[in-house]
Amino acid sequence: MVKFYSSTDTYSYPFPAVTLAYFLRYPNPYATHVLSTDTVCRHFDEETQRLTTIRLHLKRSKLPSAILKIIPRSLLGASAGGDTQSYILEKSVVDIKEGWMDTESRNLEFTGVLSVIERQEFRRPVSATAQELKMWQGMEGAARRHGFINFGSGARVEDTGETTEVKSSVTLHSHIGEKWKKRKDAVEEEKPEKAGFFKSLTTGSLQSSIELIGLKRARRSQPNAKEGMKVVLERMREGGLVAVLEGMRKDREMVGENGHALKQGDGKNDVE
Amino acid sequence: MSASLAPECNQVKERYDNCFLKWYSEKYLRGSATTDECASLFKQYEQCLSKALKDKGIDKMIKDARDDNRENDAEHMRPKR
Repeated sequence: MVKFYSSTDTYSYPFPAVTLAYFLRYPNPYATHVLSTDTVCRHFDEETQRLTTIRLHLKRSKLPSAILKIIPRSLLGASAGGDTQSYILEKSVVDIKEGWMDTESRNLEFTGVLSVIERQEFRRPVSATAQELKMWQGMEGAARRHGFINFGSGARVEDTGETTEVKSSVTLHSHIGEKWKKRKDAVEEEKPEKAGFFKSLTTGSLQSSIELIGLKRARRSQPNAKEGMKVVLERMREGGLVAVLEGMRKDREMVGENGHALKQGDGKNDVE
Repeated sequence: MSASLAPECNQVKERYDNCFLKWYSEKYLRGSATTDECASLFKQYEQCLSKALKDKGIDKMIKDARDDNRENDAEHMRPKR
């Protein structure tokens, strides 16, 4: 069984700014639970102008109590309160010529319990692509492109009225119970009532309930992910890259101090 | 800038990140990039990071995930037009 969630949205920012915001989205006020971000691999294809990036994020999360009731904490490496850290591997490909960016993020650990794959497809609207191509041939296009984003303190993202479309999806798949024998030792260390509760569920219904818990979380966290991107984009529009980096520095100070800055509901920004 | 998983790599990471952001916003996004101008800084960062990943045992996890999903990547990461 697999559960699937998808949504579409339009950012009122041009495609290049959105791709830059994607790379700069952590930390932001909606994601102070992201402890670190590293670039593991990066490849620029000189011929196609495509840029492929693989990054590793470390996120602090709180496991849902519903999950903790089903799965012994010792299997999940969580503290008594359900606090844990998890690694997320993210791959992205940008094609600036064709105007698209595809991203995919997945959890690295506990993929047997629940594998969460989040995908996003950013697209420059077709009409804008055609328009840009036309302008690209003229001086106007060159000037406009050139003035687009500057690195210096005077940097601004031009408000050109351009938009970027994004299609997001989350796929949840639990394999729990399939390789359970391997983990038997760990299970036996736990309290008998948990093992008893576990036994009362069939593999199929257990997988299904875990996927459902994951799905509910994904539904809650998706709006936060978008809000986070919008904060970064607004900072870019207000004060360019300098403002983005300054905001990031402040958000980073909050990481560790107060990991739940804008958190409204329990576990709202946990799984993303 | 975001922090590195390995605090000892923060400095090289920041140097690389700054270089990348400049190159990305000034060259790549304008379609005028010809080479990856931050490759040598990335090498330094990678050297520091790969040691940390190895020490924490994450390198194997990443490799497994990438091997497992190679087919998946081919299916989902291809251009759609």
